[in-house]
Amino acid sequence: MTGTFPSPLRLLVGTAVRSMWRRVVSLRDQSWLLLALITAFLSGYAVLAFALFYGGLRFIGRFPGLGGLLVERLLFLLFACLFGLLLISNLIVSYTNLFRNRETAFLLTLPVPRQVVFQWKLAESTVIASWAFLFLIAPLLVAYGLVHQVAWHFYPMVLLMIGLFIGLPGILGCWLAVQVARFMDRRTFQVALVLGVSLLVAVLVLRFRPTTVTEESLETARVLNVIDRLLDNTRFAQFPLLPSYWLSSSVQNWGEGAVRAALFFFSVLLSHVLFFGMIAVLWLGDAFYEASSVVHSRGSLLARWDWFRRREERRRRSSDPIARLSRPVLLETLLAWRGILAPDVRALIAKDVRVFWRDTTQWGQAFMLFGLLTVYIVNLRHFTRQLDSPFWISLVSYLNLGACSLNLATLTTRFVFPQFSLEGKRVWVVGLAPIGLVSLVRLKFWLTSWTTLGVTLGLILLSCSMLGLDAAHTLFFAAVIVVMTFTLNAIAVGLGALYPNFRETNPAKIVSGFGGTFCLVLSFLYIVGSVVLLALGSPWGWRPEAVGEFRPYHALASGTAFLGISLLSGAVPLRMGFRRVAATEL
Amino acid sequence: MIELENLVKHFGDVHAVDGITLTVPRGEFFCVLGPNAAGKTTTIKMMVGLIRPTSGSARVAGFDLQSQPLEARARLSYVPDFPFLYDKLTPWEFIRFTGQLFRMPDDRIRTEAEELIPRFSLEPWLHKPIEGLSHGTRQRVAIASALLHRPEVFVIDEPMVGLDPHHARIVKDLLRERSRQGMTLFLSTHQIEVAEEMADRVGIIHHGRLMAVGTPEELRRRAGVDGALEQAFLTLTRPPEAKAVDLSSCGEVP
Repeated sequence: MTGTFPSPLRLLVGTAVRSMWRRVVSLRDQSWLLLALITAFLSGYAVLAFALFYGGLRFIGRFPGLGGLLVERLLFLLFACLFGLLLISNLIVSYTNLFRNRETAFLLTLPVPRQVVFQWKLAESTVIASWAFLFLIAPLLVAYGLVHQVAWHFYPMVLLMIGLFIGLPGILGCWLAVQVARFMDRRTFQVALVLGVSLLVAVLVLRFRPTTVTEESLETARVLNVIDRLLDNTRFAQFPLLPSYWLSSSVQNWGEGAVRAALFFFSVLLSHVLFFGMIAVLWLGDAFYEASSVVHSRGSLLARWDWFRRREERRRRSSDPIARLSRPVLLETLLAWRGILAPDVRALIAKDVRVFWRDTTQWGQAFMLFGLLTVYIVNLRHFTRQLDSPFWISLVSYLNLGACSLNLATLTTRFVFPQFSLEGKRVWVVGLAPIGLVSLVRLKFWLTSWTTLGVTLGLILLSCSMLGLDAAHTLFFAAVIVVMTFTLNAIAVGLGALYPNFRETNPAKIVSGFGGTFCLVLSFLYIVGSVVLLALGSPWGWRPEAVGEFRPYHALASGTAFLGISLLSGAVPLRMGFRRVAATEL
Repeated sequence: MIELENLVKHFGDVHAVDGITLTVPRGEFFCVLGPNAAGKTTTIKMMVGLIRPTSGSARVAGFDLQSQPLEARARLSYVPDFPFLYDKLTPWEFIRFTGQLFRMPDDRIRTEAEELIPRFSLEPWLHKPIEGLSHGTRQRVAIASALLHRPEVFVIDEPMVGLDPHHARIVKDLLRERSRQGMTLFLSTHQIEVAEEMADRVGIIHHGRLMAVGTPEELRRRAGVDGALEQAFLTLTRPPEAKAVDLSSCGEVP
């Protein structure tokens, strides 16, 4: 009997492929403008990234005697970081896919073995978590191949190696997700995440202290030794038990024609993928079911301990829930300070703050993005000892401005853009409230702008301080980031109101539509255009020989153009959004 | 056919289900009623194997959901209040997919579907993507695919939500018919009139316990009321003492 029916796994894969195909086909019904935008953006990235990697690899490779070493180390480092990122990505995607996914719950009620449900979700999570990384590094690998003039078979081999490689973080991420689900509830996870990220930041800040190189040390020691010391902090990437080490070694050896060595590392990678894959496929299914049951049965994890249960019992007995209603809440007390804000405005702000705080995804991503940027900026103090040229300091300060704005654009697109659509969904309470939808959208704009300004302005001031910039420079960058923060929020709020999607409840899906894509592209173009414009028209000059001389006319011209572009990019969508909201029939 | 034995489920320090013992024989139409957060959905989740009981056991068609999950689920169908459907598939593709997962041969899938599809008036939607269907139509697709393999036990949570009166009648008739043919039904609902009209026996779950089980008439007698089952339900689940609440002190935050 068994042979006459398709296996459940085959059926699930078939269904997923069919759904995917329908999505591709449905692109025909999408706006051509959206398709053109996405295609242009993706090809633009591929071309630009390839050009940068190609130029960068050639530049590094030309270092006499050191080029090869530096490129080799960079590749080890890249794959090690990639492994870490893939692991985090797989952990998050697997958790959602295994324990917060309606398809999983549906499949668990059918006569499909738990192992099969787990195998399917493992494969699906690995693909979802990894495809974007492959897209990101593809231009680098092509550039590497061209710079090293590798044989044609390098490319399919590398594809195979990476295909194997992504399996390991996939399996490990899934295993971690199962363990997190079994032993942590939301609150414990939030605390663990904050502690983990703080620990990581502390380790990064303390660990990466570049060695000071003096002319004297270069004369007395061999240059290779100095370089080796300088790269000491990246040596972890060459730890032979790291899967990224096997991948880097097999890729580089294959590129150099050392096929036997490449095949050795390839075999190490293959055997590990097969070994851990086999364990996951055969045994993790039961652990997954156990974890799924725990996730759907959870009160508070702390309730396992008697002291917590006793404390909760005491609190329940001693506190009257009705009496709690008249107890002041800190957040609302703060918002009500001096009665500046109207009660309805306060209510909306308090609601948004609570929703943000209780949604781990939102603040987790914000924390991660700006946390990494903070680590980088804090470490600038080491760089500035070596960057004695005003030109480089100026360049780095503009790049920091760009990085900070790009981080903000990611967050505004992901979290601010879908807000109006989500409020529209709750029309029965917010849309019909006497505050009115236009005021609601206006409030969203001010709230998100002021909140994000606290972070972006803080980062830019930190960056200026780390780079040792004077007050005039600091003031200049502070003013610029204020304008950019308001503009980026205006783009997200305005386009969110112009292109709402009231049918969708998932913010990620709202963002993936035309409006979200347009918002991301417009924000990106605005940032690149503004930073380039401001840098070229910098009041303190741009060319290395001109840095230091004050150029008021350049500054006036570029400043006016920047303000004009900001006004155009921000105010126009915002006004159009307001108009659209005023005419919206929900 | 359904045997729950001292079923217990704790969520941390909350006792969601607190020792339910119940047997529903083959062909019985059993309705479970209860206030919100009474433990109905948790009981169902244990009955279909979605979560493990803290203690006790749930058996379906003689198979324990924990130790023989595949055998039990092969004889079971479950439709939750908001069923999952693959948005990019058509109803026919979804129905066929479900049949294949239950290891039904293609010709049997077609025969069963040919009976169910017209009854649920699904013909106009059969080859259109599910993502474009209304909630009621999606509900009909879910029920049709769940009944396709002629389960021995059918567990359904709030089946009438989103259905128009015409299709609600069709679902009721079909479930009654299947029940007469031997299918055991376990239906959870807040619509007391549905329970009163359809059920052979009704169970009332409150605070995680099975407070009362019996025919609607027996429940009325036990509650000491006449008339609609609603009265019996309200009497049996009435809180010990309703507390008067003075909200006048809950003013604005200073």
